[in-house]
Amino acid sequence: MPSLMQTMAASPRVFATEKRNAKIKPSLIVVDNVNAAADAVIGIVDRFTPAVTNGVAIPVVQTPTRLQINVSINACVSLRDELKDVEILGQLEVVRGTLLAPVVDANCFVTVAYDYEQ
Amino acid sequence: MLELRPMPEATVSPGVPKLLQEGYLVRFTNEWPETLPIKLRNKCFQIQRTNPVHYDLSYIIPTNDFRDVDISNAAGGENLYPEGLSTLYETALGFKPGNYLVHFYIPAGEAVSRLEQANMIPNVTSATLRYLGAKKPSDSPYEDKRIFIYSVKDLEPIILRVFVDSGIAFEKCVLGLEVNKCRLVEVTDPTKEQLTKAKKLLYYSELRW
Repeated sequence: MPSLMQTMAASPRVFATEKRNAKIKPSLIVVDNVNAAADAVIGIVDRFTPAVTNGVAIPVVQTPTRLQINVSINACVSLRDELKDVEILGQLEVVRGTLLAPVVDANCFVTVAYDYEQ
Repeated sequence: MLELRPMPEATVSPGVPKLLQEGYLVRFTNEWPETLPIKLRNKCFQIQRTNPVHYDLSYIIPTNDFRDVDISNAAGGENLYPEGLSTLYETALGFKPGNYLVHFYIPAGEAVSRLEQANMIPNVTSATLRYLGAKKPSDSPYEDKRIFIYSVKDLEPIILRVFVDSGIAFEKCVLGLEVNKCRLVEVTDPTKEQLTKAKKLLYYSELRW
């Protein structure tokens, strides 16, 4: 099971790219906001383009947020059990703030562990 | 031909191979048309060579929507039919888990699974008939494929209608395929024992009696 730590100096951050024949199962997220400048809203975003279907001839990119948490300044939060039923269909990204209004902070560290569905 | 092999009630040891093997016999019924480039009607063949080839198809589909997947070599198809005149493809099909259903059509528009009453035809736009004859991922798991499709060159296209059921915004539907390429050699004068041992391959019209 791979894991990756990245700072939130940019948002969104890509943690795992899409594998066409598998969903991504995040198993752990750790948000270290201890040295950040402000409280953080952290979200796990699923980025994918659906297939052409009977109802949609020209599909557009979708970015649903699969999980969102608030992390206070001076706090370090880890989630494991809460991710049990979270599935990512496309690319696994983490945003600080929101996709439309990102709040970057190089002192906010996010670690994500994940696996591809077998 | 399309075949769903049920979950076995008992296991045997040593196990029996799922796929056709070298030396196995197959025979085609009287219903296979003479219009195909390979003459199969009432003929018996021995498998001379095999070569299983794995392949995956995947589609992310929104809720209450579907995609028709043509596995033939027609334009827009997935090119999973043979091109050679002495080749049979035995394609095992399994699904990764998800909130979706699969209906089979051969040829296009003709549902494989339907009942005798005129209205009992699979229909994904109906809240009830979407489940008629539908195969769920648990019916043929990815790691234990139970749906088998037998195809030869220029057989009518088999269409898989992959439908995402309500209750989820999008679903990733992953179809696992094991294409067992079989090279056929005709047994010109099969014995009764050979005909008994041979796997009988039905033409699709026989599936809808």
